[in-house]
Amino acid sequence: MTMPDFECRLKKYRQLKDLTQEQLAVQVGVRRETIMRLEKAQYNPSLKLAVDISRVVEAPIEEIFVFQ
Amino acid sequence: MKKFNGKITVILGVLVVLLMAAATWYSVVCNDWRLVAPMDLSTYEFTPRDLPMLLSTVLFVLYALYLAVLLLRFAVASKRQAAANNTTRKLNPKLGLLGFAGFFGFLGFWTYSAFHAVSPFVFFAFFVFFGFFYEGKMSNTLMDERYMENRIRAELTAHRVALSVTFLTLILLNLNLGSLEFTLIAFTILISLAMALDMFLSEYLLYRYDRADQLDEGGEE
Repeated sequence: MTMPDFECRLKKYRQLKDLTQEQLAVQVGVRRETIMRLEKAQYNPSLKLAVDISRVVEAPIEEIFVFQ
Repeated sequence: MKKFNGKITVILGVLVVLLMAAATWYSVVCNDWRLVAPMDLSTYEFTPRDLPMLLSTVLFVLYALYLAVLLLRFAVASKRQAAANNTTRKLNPKLGLLGFAGFFGFLGFWTYSAFHAVSPFVFFAFFVFFGFFYEGKMSNTLMDERYMENRIRAELTAHRVALSVTFLTLILLNLNLGSLEFTLIAFTILISLAMALDMFLSEYLLYRYDRADQLDEGGEE
């Protein structure tokens, strides 16, 4: 199974909220490594994680994860 | 308190082993190897000289049971704590050294030729403990969704490899090893090794997937 290509703008929105990767990871209940992989678009998150992240950074999901 | 209990456990273990060694020595020197060398237990008749060996065997079994209970309690407590925190259980990677007990499996070749006993071959399954080395490295890790994904991927790959090895070896066993006895011995070894391989690979691959993911990761950006 191959991962669909997508662009992740999480880093931009995270920095706008002045959050570190660790802080964001704690708030959404994942490891910092998972946030790193997400920011590099190397990990396809579950819908729940995507929603949690979008709530924390206060940005719409489709703005954070842009699927081609 | 924990250190105190640990010390007592080790001292008890040393005492039990020393008693067993002394009883074996007594049996070899003064009791004509009774209960040391293989004997037909259906015709066994008790003599007072057997007492040291019998008592030390009972103590050894009781100590082994005590260790098993301790291990079980530790495993249950560790699992409960991990489930409550949603983290992997705490484990010292040094426990992986227990995997070397797997080499006792080679004793089976000697016990088979000397006493026709095949049970020591089962020790090959102890190679599974090498997995503790990698499980220990992943100890107390938050089990988030990426961890669970990697865990499932690792377990699936491990099952597939172990099953393929079992399947291929079974086909080779069909080529005839000369006697049914040899085939059964080879089967015992195969099953023990396949089980060990499956469980070891699960831990090893999980560690590889998790760490390989991190190889190209930098720090905070």
